Amino acid sequence: MAGTLVSIITSGDPAIRDQSLDAFCRPASLEQLLAECAELDAFRRTAENLYERVRALFFLYAIHRFHIPTKLAGAGKGLIPCHGYEHLLHRRFEEAIEVFLKMQEAEGASDGVSSALANAYHRLAFQTLADQVRRSVRMVRGNQWMFRMGHPADQPLRIRRELVERGPDGTFPILREQTPVRMDLTHSAWSDIFFLGMDYPEGAKVLNVSIDLGVHGRDAAPKPPVEAYLRVIEEPVLRLTSVDLGATADINNLAEVFDFARDYLGLLKAAVIASGIVPPGIEGSGQSLAELLAQIVGPGRGLEIVSSVNNIPKGSRLAVSTNLLAALVSVCMRATGQATSITGPLQENERRLVLARALLGEWLGGSGGGWQDSGGVWPGIKLIQGAAAGDGDPESGISRGRLMPTHHVFERDEIPEAARKALQDSLVLVHGGMAQNVGPILEMVTEKYLLRSEAEWHGRQDALRILDEVLGSLQRGDIAGVGAATTRNFKQPIQTIIPWASTYFTEQLIERVGKEFGKDFWGFWMLGGMSGGGMGFIFAPEKKALAQARLQEIMSATKRELSSALPFAMEPVVYDFAINERGTFAELLHGESALMPQGYYALTLPALLRQDIRGLSPMRRAELDKFGAACRTKPELRGMVQTLFDTMLPRAKAENKSGQSLAELLEQNGFDRAQHEQIRADLKNARIGLAQNRLPANSEITDVKPGDVFDATSWNETIGTAPARADMKEAYDLGVKALRNGELAIVTLAAGAGSRWTQGAGVCKALHPFAKLSGKHRTFIETHLAKSRRAGNKFAAPLTHIFSTSYATHAPTEEFLKRQNHYGYAGKVFLSPGKSVGLRMVPMARDLRFAWEEMPQQMLDEQQQKVRESLRAALIGWAQGAGEAGDYTDNLPLQCLHPIGHWYEVPNLLRNGLLARLLSEQPQLKHLLVHNIDTLGASADPALLGQHIRSGACLTFEMITRRLEDRGGGLARVNGRVRVVEGLAMPREEDEFNLTYYNSLTTWVDIDKLLAAFALTRADLGDPDKVTAAVRQLAAKMPTYVTIKDVKKRWGHGQEDIFPVTQFEKLWGDMSALPEIDSRFIAVPRLRGQQLKDQAQLDGWLRDGSAAYVESLCEWA
Amino acid sequence: MEIKQAIITAAGKDQRTLPLQTLVDRTGETKSALRIIIEEALQAGAEEICVVVHPCDQGAFRAAAGEHVSRLQFVEQTAPLGYGHAVWCAKDFVGGKPFLLLVGDHLYVSRADKRCAQQLAETARAESCSVSAVQATHERLLPFYGAIGGKLAAGAKGLYEIEDVLEKPTPTEAEQKLDVPGLRAGHYLCFFGMHALSPLVMDLLAEDVRNAGGRGRVQLTPALARLAARERYLALEVQGRRYDIGAKYGLLTAQLALALDGHDRDEVLGNLVELLALRNK
Repeated sequence: MAGTLVSIITSGDPAIRDQSLDAFCRPASLEQLLAECAELDAFRRTAENLYERVRALFFLYAIHRFHIPTKLAGAGKGLIPCHGYEHLLHRRFEEAIEVFLKMQEAEGASDGVSSALANAYHRLAFQTLADQVRRSVRMVRGNQWMFRMGHPADQPLRIRRELVERGPDGTFPILREQTPVRMDLTHSAWSDIFFLGMDYPEGAKVLNVSIDLGVHGRDAAPKPPVEAYLRVIEEPVLRLTSVDLGATADINNLAEVFDFARDYLGLLKAAVIASGIVPPGIEGSGQSLAELLAQIVGPGRGLEIVSSVNNIPKGSRLAVSTNLLAALVSVCMRATGQATSITGPLQENERRLVLARALLGEWLGGSGGGWQDSGGVWPGIKLIQGAAAGDGDPESGISRGRLMPTHHVFERDEIPEAARKALQDSLVLVHGGMAQNVGPILEMVTEKYLLRSEAEWHGRQDALRILDEVLGSLQRGDIAGVGAATTRNFKQPIQTIIPWASTYFTEQLIERVGKEFGKDFWGFWMLGGMSGGGMGFIFAPEKKALAQARLQEIMSATKRELSSALPFAMEPVVYDFAINERGTFAELLHGESALMPQGYYALTLPALLRQDIRGLSPMRRAELDKFGAACRTKPELRGMVQTLFDTMLPRAKAENKSGQSLAELLEQNGFDRAQHEQIRADLKNARIGLAQNRLPANSEITDVKPGDVFDATSWNETIGTAPARADMKEAYDLGVKALRNGELAIVTLAAGAGSRWTQGAGVCKALHPFAKLSGKHRTFIETHLAKSRRAGNKFAAPLTHIFSTSYATHAPTEEFLKRQNHYGYAGKVFLSPGKSVGLRMVPMARDLRFAWEEMPQQMLDEQQQKVRESLRAALIGWAQGAGEAGDYTDNLPLQCLHPIGHWYEVPNLLRNGLLARLLSEQPQLKHLLVHNIDTLGASADPALLGQHIRSGACLTFEMITRRLEDRGGGLARVNGRVRVVEGLAMPREEDEFNLTYYNSLTTWVDIDKLLAAFALTRADLGDPDKVTAAVRQLAAKMPTYVTIKDVKKRWGHGQEDIFPVTQFEKLWGDMSALPEIDSRFIAVPRLRGQQLKDQAQLDGWLRDGSAAYVESLCEWA
Repeated sequence: MEIKQAIITAAGKDQRTLPLQTLVDRTGETKSALRIIIEEALQAGAEEICVVVHPCDQGAFRAAAGEHVSRLQFVEQTAPLGYGHAVWCAKDFVGGKPFLLLVGDHLYVSRADKRCAQQLAETARAESCSVSAVQATHERLLPFYGAIGGKLAAGAKGLYEIEDVLEKPTPTEAEQKLDVPGLRAGHYLCFFGMHALSPLVMDLLAEDVRNAGGRGRVQLTPALARLAARERYLALEVQGRRYDIGAKYGLLTAQLALALDGHDRDEVLGNLVELLALRNK
């Protein structure tokens, strides 16, 4: 008999099919859930309908991720089988599921195995969906032939004759495509995600407007920002140039065309492929590009393609890159006769084909947005909506909807001219400066849709109603009505579906603009994937000019305040815009007007000018003549001579904005040059390196035994409530006594930059307003203080709270806390500044290879993997070119420094005098609770403190049971001694999977015993030399790990590159390996010990009860 | 649709000398290509033949026609205004009757008992409508031919109802508009250089010639596309192969095809085997 959940999935009745999974699971018992899972798993293996299969997979994921763990209640500490994990890394999801299910069958359900199953089901579901979208992209009529073509002789495309007719000066004409970008007037609740449109076509709707753009104050008037140029050249190469990214290359072999990450020309390459000039079917054929080009353009000839986006910054949420891809595809298609007209607008069927090809291009490039993103190809304002798959569609029988949506362009009788003008007169478009990865959000949206989570499903229905409302208001010319509806959309359905769509920055802007403009501020409108980048503010028309000026100031000021807390990629900008009523449009430029965009010449001319003019081809010479003449006569080219001069003779770059050079920073932050040189020499001689981090291969690493760990996993803390367990009662009383007596201080480690949190953006994680708790965005610091406030109030003794900082985090944290007035915290708050810093180095190619080839790696899907491999080859080339183990200095000075590991953060308390001060002010202080900034559940729990006191240990490490994502060592018996082993030190990957416990990094410290380990007493703390010597002595016993970190380098207009760099660190967990230190281990509930490392974890954290748990520990000011 | 008249076009810039080439026909007789084409038309039932030639070429064509010269009429295309225009030049010859249209630079070898043009003419007669000969062609050759889209006519193998006609389509366009069920992937029905057409085509061409006003080139394909919209128009997958004698080695290939289909098959095969055997490598 089919299970209840299977019948929900297969029901033809929407009322049953759209039931929420959560509602079913909440009252169900563990046994019921496991039985349902078995039914679902059997069903998904045989279901032929793609979406039923995928929904079953999402159900399985959600049950294992959110529901089974809550029903286990501390039971089940099952280990995750290593070979299952390896299957996951290689994307063999089915095999992984088999392994995990067998484990579950043998050992019973457990938190760890459920986490592994959840991960495998989740990824299999997305893999299945992505495969289907790709299959559909290939199956679109007009795309299929390109996958069949594998030999130049089979190339059926020919260049249009107009493009090979030379002008009088011997140059070929230039075909120029100009394309607007698009804005989505309704946000659409991400309903244009392919997966969603293909399952729920009736709910996939957007109101999409093509617009011209200019940067307010920089550009004279808005114009189509996206331009693509194409011409024939007299060399058998593909010459590709991206003006905005400053990249140009002559490509003369096919393999390079398919090498997307080699340079910044990936988008142009994707367009060349997707337009059929170099069809995807020819990849890997080993054929000649010159022969292929000869077939299209004639022997000895090639094509030059140039892209320009008028310096519109990245992250504008206006789909600049997709529309650029579409423009490039369009220009290539026109040039090869794949559009009826070489110039002018495109016909509807041609636009649809450009859309299909742009989708193909995005897939080839390993990216992909929504189906409305190529909206700029169409003119004016249009309703784009999903379409049901019918007989004859390739999707028929596979999905309910088609891959390609339909476009209805509104005529003037539907949306009158006056309404269009009114919209333009009221809307201020901006880029707030944040550039964030929306990929995880798109996955969350898909998942929540398929799970039909109640609130989110209702939110989606609301968003659809709001779309009708926006359209109605627009048709009436009621822009205030539009503003009210878009604001409601942002505040309600959008944030109901994805709370992370809003940021603290956005809300500050809305609040400040609202305060300043009052009733003249008609509404906020979120553009695209998430807010913080491209956004819209709607004002009474008479205030628009003022609002443009003020928004620039408000955004800049707000950004300045938050620049340490949130990842900003650029200075905010305000745009001018106009609705574009013709869509993508091409012109053939002849004679004198046949010039590339200005930036092209700034990029290419210096190299040409350095050559002997006689060595240039006649065509190049003719072009130089033409450009020279234009510079003399055309006013818009007046500054060109200066630009060229500056490019050829660049001025020396200034140091960073604050004027502090790298050398000064190193000096101020205790950089140890001798140690640095030693590390460099050791790196070069391979004495240290990623491979050398590991313990000797003959180390015996086994799991701990029952008596090694004090089990408090079922200890569900509510502060101030005595535990029922008799053995904890005594501990609790001891802890309460110590707390009342002021014997504990909290140390939150906040020196790290949280590189995983913002992917190396170099902001302070501690200051990041990461989530809304009790209705407001809260920073990590505020949350930790709120827990201390609660504990302090409970035991009538305010807790002293210390945040350790580093060169990167100290000043912003100090300034931030001051501005926030310590969040009104009644106890003492101190910062403990770091006293040591390292200088990053260019990595050894050997270490990069080790990291990427020897260590277990997550395989990406086929196309993304190709892109990644090509990028890695380029980075190894960079490391060798820049000089292995050389100082990494080619970035902002702060990005070149690195903290040298959290081990130093506790000794820093000794070295910077803070501990001495604390002990003199609060001599009763005996213990510290040291925890990481992202361990949000860590709190001054009296029972755990009491257990630490009772045990008499120097250090008590808190452990949690392992889930799949908990990688990086754990608690083990190493050659018989119980200690924490760092992941870096694991000689064999598989050993980690035998370890039940993972280190939460939260440690209870007995101050006097720790001082003893340093061979110090309280009295010695006043002697800096003695302290320094003691720290150095203990540091020498600690292993040094070499690590590779990703660092962002920002350039251009919001562009970012990520470079892997080498740094070294010493880690706190290794203290447990020292025989002179009495270390104990206590297993705590997962909610207490888990860490938030990655923003992608936030949604699960909010949904699985973690956020509620943290809130229960807090008392807000 | 009874067909008694045929038009052979030979006025194109690259076509003018091709019909004058000599080959050995199936019968072992040495003939000009023009004569072979004329015989193809005669066997299909044509009684009068009009050859559209370049102004200076009539004499040479008369000589090449041999014994059939008395059946020929010549029309001159005075300016190179396209294939459609060349056909239109023979409008007076056609005089409002259906006609067979052949090109002067293609030879045909049938795989059936009946010759290719005959298969076509008989189909036109049986179906009482225009019929164009087509051949399934790989998409790489699309830049060289007109192509049709349509569906199989009920109950007839190799016969298609034409819905769309495009001249030298890109594969993109072909895939979207010229899909024909039953063909191998990447194959389209391309024209074979042989049509049996109703007189409406001459009217449609007349419109195009008038619209072009002597400036642009007039193609046949757009007129055929409109023909499909106006009246029943079929495509016949002819049992045979065409040989473009204007292509590289085209004449040689056509000669071999003719020889291997005729009396001297064994002799030619023997010669070929000997040639192969004597090759050094």
